[in-house]
Amino acid sequence: MNARVSLSVSDLQGWYGESKALHGMTFEVGAGEVVTLLGRNGAGKTTTLRAIMGLLRKKTGEIRFDGEDVAGRMPEYIARRGIAYCPEERGIFASLTVEENLFLPPVIAEGGMAVDDIYALFPNIAERRNSQGTKLSGGEQQMLAIARILRTGANLLLLDEPTEGLAPVIVQQIGAVIRKLKERGFTVVLVEQNFRFASKLADRHYVVEHGRVIDTLAAADVAGNRDRIQNYLKV
Amino acid sequence: MMTLLGISPQLLFGQLLIGLINGVFYAMMSLGVAIIFGMLRIGNFVHGAQYMLGAFGAWYLLHLPDLFPGFGLPSLGYWWALALVPVAVGLIGALMERVFIRRVYELEHAYGLLLTVGLAMVIEGLFNVGYGAAGQRYDIPAALRGGVNLGFMFLPYYRLWVIVAGLFVCVATWYIVERTKLGAYLRAATENPNLVRAFGINVPRMLMLTYAFGVGLAGLAGVMAAPIYQVSPQMGQSIIITIFAVVVIGGMGSISGAIFTGLMLGMIEGLTKVFWPQASTTVIFVIMVLVLVFRPAGLFGKETASAHAADMSTARPNSFLENGRLWLPILSVVGMVLPFLIYPVFGMKILCFALFACAYNLIFGYVGLLAFGHAAFFGSSAYVAAFTAASWGFPTELAILSGMVVATLIGAVFGWLAIRRQGLYFAMITLALAQLVYFYAIQAPWTHGEDGIQSVPRGYLFGFIDLDDTMNMYYFVLAIFLIGFAAIYRIGRSPFGQILKSIRENEPRAISLGYSTDRFKLLAFTLSAMFAGLAGATKAIVFQIASLADLYFTTSADALLMTLIGGVGTLLGPIVGAIVVVTMQKEFATLGAWVVVVQGAAFVLCVLFLRKGVIGTLEDWMATRSESKRIAAGYATGLAAKAVE
Repeated sequence: MNARVSLSVSDLQGWYGESKALHGMTFEVGAGEVVTLLGRNGAGKTTTLRAIMGLLRKKTGEIRFDGEDVAGRMPEYIARRGIAYCPEERGIFASLTVEENLFLPPVIAEGGMAVDDIYALFPNIAERRNSQGTKLSGGEQQMLAIARILRTGANLLLLDEPTEGLAPVIVQQIGAVIRKLKERGFTVVLVEQNFRFASKLADRHYVVEHGRVIDTLAAADVAGNRDRIQNYLKV
Repeated sequence: MMTLLGISPQLLFGQLLIGLINGVFYAMMSLGVAIIFGMLRIGNFVHGAQYMLGAFGAWYLLHLPDLFPGFGLPSLGYWWALALVPVAVGLIGALMERVFIRRVYELEHAYGLLLTVGLAMVIEGLFNVGYGAAGQRYDIPAALRGGVNLGFMFLPYYRLWVIVAGLFVCVATWYIVERTKLGAYLRAATENPNLVRAFGINVPRMLMLTYAFGVGLAGLAGVMAAPIYQVSPQMGQSIIITIFAVVVIGGMGSISGAIFTGLMLGMIEGLTKVFWPQASTTVIFVIMVLVLVFRPAGLFGKETASAHAADMSTARPNSFLENGRLWLPILSVVGMVLPFLIYPVFGMKILCFALFACAYNLIFGYVGLLAFGHAAFFGSSAYVAAFTAASWGFPTELAILSGMVVATLIGAVFGWLAIRRQGLYFAMITLALAQLVYFYAIQAPWTHGEDGIQSVPRGYLFGFIDLDDTMNMYYFVLAIFLIGFAAIYRIGRSPFGQILKSIRENEPRAISLGYSTDRFKLLAFTLSAMFAGLAGATKAIVFQIASLADLYFTTSADALLMTLIGGVGTLLGPIVGAIVVVTMQKEFATLGAWVVVVQGAAFVLCVLFLRKGVIGTLEDWMATRSESKRIAAGYATGLAAKAVE
């Protein structure tokens, strides 16, 4: 593992109202790593990302980002510390154009990607910059949702199921994008159910069930343990 | 001189100009209301009061030396007011958001409306105490006096200025919201505030600034209006209801739509003044009705109905306080003894308003629809009963019955129109429709305008019981109340009532079970109107008068306040609320204009601290107590069992 720890979550408990969704999530992400949270529907993966982002208010435990415990902080503070979030439903704004969507997240630090680089990475978005945000196809919307958090200078990206419901060719493109992000030094937490997709990208996999991490696999161990992993994910 | 359809061009263009000016104010105000509603999900009823604050702010600045003699302050004229007052009103708005409005974001829409209604009553009430109904003069600034003769009409410079400046402000607002980065934040936060926060934007602060901005627009409109209309505490009260109608007509989702709708409606109002002056006060409300029939989402609306009935009931069905079979006899006995303990006329007032509140509770508490126009049913029934008894010589029973029938019919029509929209819109629509009835009553000859119908004969019950005898009248009113109370209780417990409850708790689920919920809502609304009519007609007979106050929106607000204080959806809450409110009105009657302030404060306090109402809180308290007793008992038996072992 990398020397510097970017994110470390320990004994995270979280609730939606009365019902408990997280039962002691504990995991760590090194700077520059791509790490996945794998697991079935309802395992608590999205809830974990929401908790990190400060969107889940009712929680206990520790969430350290670059050494600072941000568990009690508001989303706007956490975002400004350098975490960016791409939600599962993508969150493209219908009342904003593609370009407005792209430029919406404020730049919070230096070192974000230049707009030209982003357009080079996502040529479709450049072409349609003046369309209404939600007029894009599902794949384009997903690209836009990722693209807009790259300019801000955030170095930890939380991507929630970026491949969900997309055509295989688009999934491949998104895989290529994430690989490029890794090359550029971004740290990525990827929530996935699509293990085939995740296994080619990640340095490490955390298997989540019932709101806690039940198994950890390094990328090197994946090849020998396919059955074990399929067993975790099968419905 | 050329004429058109017998109307001189001077008159036509003169009224069109006035219409355009009104339209500018409508546009500026509805813009603020729409932006605030979009972002904060708050129906800002206090907007009218904030507009009034703007006008008074200008007046204050002009009279600084008189207001604070000895400080050597200068008198600041119109241009200073234009610059300073909107900022000041905006700051007051920011403070109000911080202290009050912020607390209700997470709650049902209804509370936001109630809170702002209360704040409006407090602010307008305070100014009423200070300045009374009389308007204060505010002169047109020297630079804009006089005008230009255009040949076909005379155009005063000040009016031209208002139109140009108002339009500029509207267009600038449109530009900021639709074309700037700040506007993009605003639009995005309207759609998904949490995600915008997760991008690092301080959305709570943005909400405050948005509110301050919308309110500042109202303040600016107030300054601009000061030289045209009189500066009076009432100036905001009537305009806010019209503004709500404008927002309903325009629909949400388009800033330019709000501007256009405001201007258009002002012009239409002006034209109506030329061709059919009597209809000019109601034309906007009539247009609202037409829009609701043919294009329920509004002219520029994008939203499709998705909000549903809100469960605001605080009743615990198992509490003995909800047992009507127990309470009907208790209430009967208490009611029979009451006139020996308190002044019977006061008792009758309580009974009438308790029935009114029970009727209101049927739609607000049982179905969860925020109706805000029950004055229309209460008042129209009062008028009809008073008129038929006084002018047509109807016997008392028949007069009350005819009042009820009219209220029921109006209720059916209003319900049919209003259930096309949900949530806050439902409140705005019922409010505007009730205002339509109010304006009708001001103008119709048979209602005698400001005087109302007076000296209504109480008559004889069954032809021989003299109701001029106070005790006879009292027991008649008690009987009516008990019948109404029992009927409403029965409705709540019937299979029909169970369906209403399911609509309240989860309307989509009720729909998925195959209920056509709109029909049930309409029927409940109509029944509620019927009982409100019964209360209104009885009140007219008891007090021998039907007046405009019965139809004014404050009467609707009374119904809401009584239900809220007592406990929404509870059996006894409306009665408790009626006792509290009627007593309060009586006790504070000597305070004169302060009554409104006290009532407004009661609204605010209830929304902030007593959302469950007296009965709801009591039921909660008893439930927790019996629960802890049960646990303690269980623990004790557990110990005993262990001891036996």
